Amino acid sequence: MSDISIRNNALQSSTAAGKIKDGSRGGNAEFGTILKSKLNEINQLQLDADQAIANVQLGNSGSIHEAVVALEKADLSFRTMMQVRNKIIEAYQEIMRMQV
Amino acid sequence: MEFFTPFKICGDGLAAQRAKMDVIVSNIANVNTTRTPEGGPYKRKVVVFSTDSVDSSFDSKLKDAVKTVKVDGIEEAAANESVKMMHNPGHPDADERGFVAVPNINIVTEMVDMMLTNRAYEACVTAFDASKNMAVKTLDIGK
Repeated sequence: MSDISIRNNALQSSTAAGKIKDGSRGGNAEFGTILKSKLNEINQLQLDADQAIANVQLGNSGSIHEAVVALEKADLSFRTMMQVRNKIIEAYQEIMRMQV
Repeated sequence: MEFFTPFKICGDGLAAQRAKMDVIVSNIANVNTTRTPEGGPYKRKVVVFSTDSVDSSFDSKLKDAVKTVKVDGIEEAAANESVKMMHNPGHPDADERGFVAVPNINIVTEMVDMMLTNRAYEACVTAFDASKNMAVKTLDIGK
């Protein structure tokens, strides 16, 4: 996986990706590292949504719309991650099907 | 993610409309209140909104143009308009001439305000759904 490096401005502009060491191909971070940091970000959004729901349920300073917005953020980021995962699996299977 | 910017703005819009609804409900509930801790009758409250900057990775041109909303303050209506005198000699708070100072709250104005707030809230929800649909549709590219 570490051999695959991608050129993706959107990913590189994010905070976490900026700190990653440069890859061999002219300033591109390693794909695996970017993926990992994105996964952490998405996980954090899920945890935020959990916390927001807990705040509403416990009745301390949580409003419903904040919780719903947090849930939607978590949902959307998860969908994006699943889409990336599907593409990776697709690429992997494409390679595995290759005739040698 | 850029797609979270409309989420944030919609969330702030929802919070602002909710705050306005709280104030309207407070005005309606206190339509007959003649005693407050500060003395005198309840005074009609008005919410004032102001714009707020959005922190996002927008282009520099869009960065200053797009604004979210925040509650700037909850202010009392002007002193000479906030109280009306009603003749009710039997009331414990009546003065020597039999007049009681009651809040100058028009229930019809409050109800119309409430409907406007309700519609604005619904509009925010619709805008939220629309922007989320855009994001979900984007993920369908190439399927």
